Amino acid sequence: MRRGKIAWVWLLGITLPCLLMMGCGKRVTRVEAGDQTQVYHRGNGADPSDLDPQLITGDIEHHIVSSLLEGLVAEDPKDLHPVPGVAERWEISEDGKTYTFYLRKNARWSNGDAVTADDFYKSYQRILSPGLGSEYNYMLFVVENAEEFNTEKVKDFKQVGFQVIDPYTFQVKLKNSTPYFLSLITHPSWYPVHMPTILKFGKMDERGTRWTRPGNFVGNGAFRLSEWKVNNVLVVTNSPTYWDAKVVRLKEIRFYPTDNQDAEERSFRAGQLHSTYEVPLTKIEVYKKQYPDLIHIDPLLSTYFYRVNVKKPPMDNLKLRKALAMAIDRELIVEKIRRGGELPAYNLTPPGTAGYTARAQIKKDFAGAKKLLAEAGYPDGKGCPPIEILINTHEAHKTIAEAIQSMWKENLGLEVTIANQEWKVYLDTQKRIDYQVCRAGWSGDYVDPNSFLDLFLTGGGNNETGWSNKEYDNLIAEAGRTGDQQKRMEVFQKAEAILMDELPIIPIYFYTRPVLRQPSLKGYYPNILDLHPFKWVYLESTPGKKE
Amino acid sequence: MLRYIAKRLLGMIPVLLIISSLTFFMIHKAPGGPFSKDKQVSPEVLKNIEKHYWLDRPIPVQYLHYMGNVLKGDLGPSFKYPSRTVNELIADSFPVSLELGCYALLFAMFVGVILGSLASLRPNTIFDYAPMSLSMIGICAPTFVIGPILVLVFGNYFKWFNTGGWDSARDKVLPVITLGLYYCAYIARLSRGGMLEIMNQDFIRTARAKGASTFRVIVLHAMRGGVLPVVSFLGPAAAGIITGSFVVEKIFRIPGLGRFFVESAFGRDYTMMMGTVLFYAFFVILFNLVVDVVQTWLNPKITIDS
Amino acid sequence: MATPLLQVDDLAVSFHTRNGIVRAVRNISFQVNRGETLGIVGESGSGKSVCCYSLLRLLPMPPGRIESGKAIFDGSMDLLSASIRDLNKVRGKRISMIFQDPMTSLNPYLKVGQQIMEPLLIHGSTTKAAARAQAIEMLKSVGIHDGEQRMEAYPHQFSGGMRQRVMIAMALITKPDLLIADEPTTALDVTVQAQILELIKKMQGELGTAVIFISHDMGVVAGFCDRVNVMYAGKIVESAGTQKIFEEPQHPYNKALQKSIPSLQQKGKELFTIEGLPPDLAGDLRGCPFAPRCAYAVDYCRRDPVELLETRPGHYSACLRVQRKEITLQS
Repeated sequence: MRRGKIAWVWLLGITLPCLLMMGCGKRVTRVEAGDQTQVYHRGNGADPSDLDPQLITGDIEHHIVSSLLEGLVAEDPKDLHPVPGVAERWEISEDGKTYTFYLRKNARWSNGDAVTADDFYKSYQRILSPGLGSEYNYMLFVVENAEEFNTEKVKDFKQVGFQVIDPYTFQVKLKNSTPYFLSLITHPSWYPVHMPTILKFGKMDERGTRWTRPGNFVGNGAFRLSEWKVNNVLVVTNSPTYWDAKVVRLKEIRFYPTDNQDAEERSFRAGQLHSTYEVPLTKIEVYKKQYPDLIHIDPLLSTYFYRVNVKKPPMDNLKLRKALAMAIDRELIVEKIRRGGELPAYNLTPPGTAGYTARAQIKKDFAGAKKLLAEAGYPDGKGCPPIEILINTHEAHKTIAEAIQSMWKENLGLEVTIANQEWKVYLDTQKRIDYQVCRAGWSGDYVDPNSFLDLFLTGGGNNETGWSNKEYDNLIAEAGRTGDQQKRMEVFQKAEAILMDELPIIPIYFYTRPVLRQPSLKGYYPNILDLHPFKWVYLESTPGKKE
Repeated sequence: MLRYIAKRLLGMIPVLLIISSLTFFMIHKAPGGPFSKDKQVSPEVLKNIEKHYWLDRPIPVQYLHYMGNVLKGDLGPSFKYPSRTVNELIADSFPVSLELGCYALLFAMFVGVILGSLASLRPNTIFDYAPMSLSMIGICAPTFVIGPILVLVFGNYFKWFNTGGWDSARDKVLPVITLGLYYCAYIARLSRGGMLEIMNQDFIRTARAKGASTFRVIVLHAMRGGVLPVVSFLGPAAAGIITGSFVVEKIFRIPGLGRFFVESAFGRDYTMMMGTVLFYAFFVILFNLVVDVVQTWLNPKITIDS
Repeated sequence: MATPLLQVDDLAVSFHTRNGIVRAVRNISFQVNRGETLGIVGESGSGKSVCCYSLLRLLPMPPGRIESGKAIFDGSMDLLSASIRDLNKVRGKRISMIFQDPMTSLNPYLKVGQQIMEPLLIHGSTTKAAARAQAIEMLKSVGIHDGEQRMEAYPHQFSGGMRQRVMIAMALITKPDLLIADEPTTALDVTVQAQILELIKKMQGELGTAVIFISHDMGVVAGFCDRVNVMYAGKIVESAGTQKIFEEPQHPYNKALQKSIPSLQQKGKELFTIEGLPPDLAGDLRGCPFAPRCAYAVDYCRRDPVELLETRPGHYSACLRVQRKEITLQS
């Protein structure tokens, strides 16, 4: 009896604190507080690995660095068309090969130094230095002798097409007239870096020095780096030295690494994030129905496709490839499986890329596919060895591969198996072209069909299909020389037609980016590169809607 | 005692050497490298990067170079975070994992031992069945299920705690519970069993006959022997909790070492992998030693010298 | 006549198990006077230990349950209905216990000294230092002379006899009025047995403590007790002064027990054993419980209710045939 009483006391001791906590009740969420103080809490995907604009490779780092640095030309927040950045204006020569930038005199580094033409010159010298090993240095290869300097065919940087006319005038000479040049140079690889800071922490072309750490980093962007805790948070605060500081309304952006979609979604729901990097596939429908004002399906310059090993039977058989491409019900995949507003892809380049929409389209024709398969020597799939689809281990890829597996089986009678590999193993297998059919994705680095179509040049590093076509190579080269935008696009049309005829790849769908955003996030516009110049972003809670 | 500890510590050296060598050659044998990406890096660039990290040398040379640095206490630069060294990353993240692990272990021990003892006091009654069935759930349900459920209930619905991060106390409650729950449940069952056995011992009757209060009987006479099975479980539990926090760290966005441990393997971040493996190996061995020492202190029948 | 130290009336204890209710002690009454030694003898399972544990409420409850009875201690306090708090004031202070198995009855995780001092510390009024001195003193009087060092040792470092000495020291350190000794020598070597008995006797003489001495060994009881209760199947079947018990047995069971004392038999003779098994205590018993094993049993023994009655002055028996004077038993 007595012991029973003690047991009760203990039970109470455990439950009582819990009950008390319930009394704490409602409190102001991080988002609500941020709305008041202009602190933007952003789910930023994976953890950023570095902030050196000349070494970073992902959009995750890109987003952060774009708040810390500014190039000669910046993007318009709505449609990303080039607007003045450090350069207040520019001139383009008749032949389209020489660009002269006039730098604004009030542009400042965060340590107070003026941003000059020499800064840009030295920055580009650094990124093109072979020793640095910048993975995106090819973004500068449109410039005269840039590639040659990088591959040490040209030793003297003076021969590269960069020239400092005077401290506030900078000239760039291109190999060919490059109509998308101004868009190109908004990319982080074209951002300036503060050379004295870099030299303080290491050699000019040394990788991974401490100059990118908080306290060391010197930038010229609208924000400056104030905190960077790995796997925790990266904080930037608005920079008083930025030339356009008066338009910047955000006080602080806190970038949270959120590589777990579900956790990110829960944080958003708990009012801890203003925006997410992604939305879990299973949550898209729920949000669409219940909170249509929170979910946004942004377009994205990105394609989901299957690579095909054209060197290895039976995939060397063009008719078989065509049959496979035609026997996929892409509408079913995007509507029933993805459900994120994706578009079915019947070609490689996303429609409307810099005004270009491919005319060459794969047909969806199950009967035709069957006929082609018979012509290929496999009537009703008979005699065709089993086809293996290689994916990297991921639920989403598996679901799609299974759908395609059953479509090929049902529509063509083919035996299809799915093999999955861990990410790095999969990359290795793909690089060695040691597969039959292999899942892939590609996002454009800049808004131009070239960013997609130059993948499949003979021997290109990202070709990875063994496919080679002289005519295609010539067409892509020709497009690079053509200054007239309209003519250029026609050349791309021809090239993509060849690609869609030979089918070293089977396009499946064009990606979208479903994201969650609080309504208080303003000045934030969806666009295909998922770039949102933070200088224009601000927070404003809608009164009356929330308590 | 001191000699025993010194001997055990010396014994660590060959173990660590074998672990590090095995790991080194295994990870360099694994397909894919730290710089393979879905957007291919051009061969010239790749060559320069590999040169920077000594990856262009023969593996044995790399091994000697690496081990030489390790002996100097330098675990090398991280490939994933070029501007940080592995030493720095471990120094930053391990305290977080340790803190998380310690809280989780404390929670598991405190609640587990109390629940277990409570259950043992009135075996086969509701006070026994309720906590024991709860603990069964704790043992069976995996962390990646418990974690989100706790977040949904206490983070999203009641909004008492934060759903992620590692700064305020509100951030820490849910991950600690999530990580500790399995161990808590296990400890509850162990201490129930231990206490039940002890409470039936003759010496407990002796203590009662001396006029000791129930509290004194439990705490002074029974607890010590009753928690012995718990203590022997603490070694593996502590190692498991502190090295196994990966899932919890991921669910709750905690900047701990557990994430590096797993993610460095996926990212083929060779130096980070080596660093975490070495560090964890050292830690686990050390912890087993500590537990052995604690056990001899708790149970006078065990002596170290024999 | 002064009030007895302990007056037990109508005590009944049962165990509620899955297989039914086992009535281990069936409405027994007895008393213990100050300073005397009361022996309780019987086979294993006769209820003698249960009876004593229930006095200090040390039985595991559940399944044990005290169904009825009173145990008035020192004329005022009923041990069976007192609150745990009040009972704890008596346990270890005025009534102490020694247990059968010294190997398991000491806490292996605590130092011996701590355990000896514990009764003093629990019942307050002494400082730790004083308790320590007293414990060393006590160890000396139970024959452990290097008490100073032995205080720091753990039980597993002691032999069985030494541990029982420790138990005795621990039980008597508070100078209790009553010591309950539950077969304190059963688990010990024969040579040590005698020493321990001697020790208890000596301490009893020094402190004037009353002792309830539980044993299944008639031989041990013979030399040790003032009075003896013989228990069988949860009941007292015979009760008298020790001499009378041995010289004029009034119950066949007592007689059988005496016959089975090995030392009283001649060498080379087969050991005497009582045929049959004690009855199952799970049900009601009709007639005399010993009847099925009794050489003297007649029909009505198995049928008629039995009571403990005074058959000679100061001598009580529960044998119907003795009560009717149909038989006389010789030792």
